[in-house]
Amino acid sequence: MASPQELSDFLKSAELKAFKRTVWQVRADDAALDIVQDSMMKLAEHYGHKPVAELPLIFARILANATMDWFRQRQRDQAVFVDTPPRQADDEAIEWHELVANTDDQHDMADPMLRQVRAQTAQAIEAEVEKLSPRQREAFLLRYWEDLSVAETATAMGVTEGSVKVHCFRAVQTLAQALSALRP
Amino acid sequence: MNSKLATPLPASDLLGRQLALRLDETLPTLPHPVRERLRAARVRAVALRASTAVQTAHAAQVQGGGLLAGLWGEHIWWARFAATGLLAALALSLVGVDAWQDDLRTRELAEVDAQLLIDELPPAAYADPGFVQFIKHNTQALR
Repeated sequence: MASPQELSDFLKSAELKAFKRTVWQVRADDAALDIVQDSMMKLAEHYGHKPVAELPLIFARILANATMDWFRQRQRDQAVFVDTPPRQADDEAIEWHELVANTDDQHDMADPMLRQVRAQTAQAIEAEVEKLSPRQREAFLLRYWEDLSVAETATAMGVTEGSVKVHCFRAVQTLAQALSALRP
Repeated sequence: MNSKLATPLPASDLLGRQLALRLDETLPTLPHPVRERLRAARVRAVALRASTAVQTAHAAQVQGGGLLAGLWGEHIWWARFAATGLLAALALSLVGVDAWQDDLRTRELAEVDAQLLIDELPPAAYADPGFVQFIKHNTQALR
């Protein structure tokens, strides 16, 4: 059973990511803030007695449902949840994997040039994530950013595990392609 | 969630994690008003959780010890039921004691009657005035 302090710690660790994820979905700061706030209140009111380990998945589901409700209210479901056509796998994905992995050193952060490169990389990734289809973006963020398992992501999204794997794979390939194109 | 880290991740998953890790660096750039609204929302949510926990504890306390404490409160019907039961038990006890005493008296009288009937002297002799005089006379003579 999560204590108020544990709930506070969890929300503190999740609120910024939740806001970013929601902003990418609804494209409006105020709406995203309202959705995240409502989700926090629902989590506290109805699921505050749950163990701390269960809170990430529950919160992800509440947030997804709240976002869906917001879209339903605006009657824009069909316009938003249409997947983009699948893209071909790209060999350059591994190159991006190496580039991203190689900028993980604290020593590098002391170098202003490398710090700037890292910031630009992060901004580029954010921009490309924003361009993903809603399903791919949701799967990518839940699976890799929120660190949920495939099964948990599928539960949060209300889809099959196979669908999650496909969405994640396509999202990663799309990001790798897009980021490779940005390389000098 | 950590169990999934035990098995080697496919290259796609590895790349996905590292890309997502880079997104963390965009979080500190969120505008201050946004961060403040999120903080306020979190504080409200935690306060709601705390008040819900207090209400739950209070409800459990009332359910657990309310029979004694709630004679004039929410459990007045239970208290009335208990009092009625006690009075009924007391009345039944009194009726039982009365019946037991009647039975004891009846047995004593029956025992006296039995002694009179099995005696050699007929019971009608005790109603005869001459027999009474005879008893008195013999008693004085014996002295």
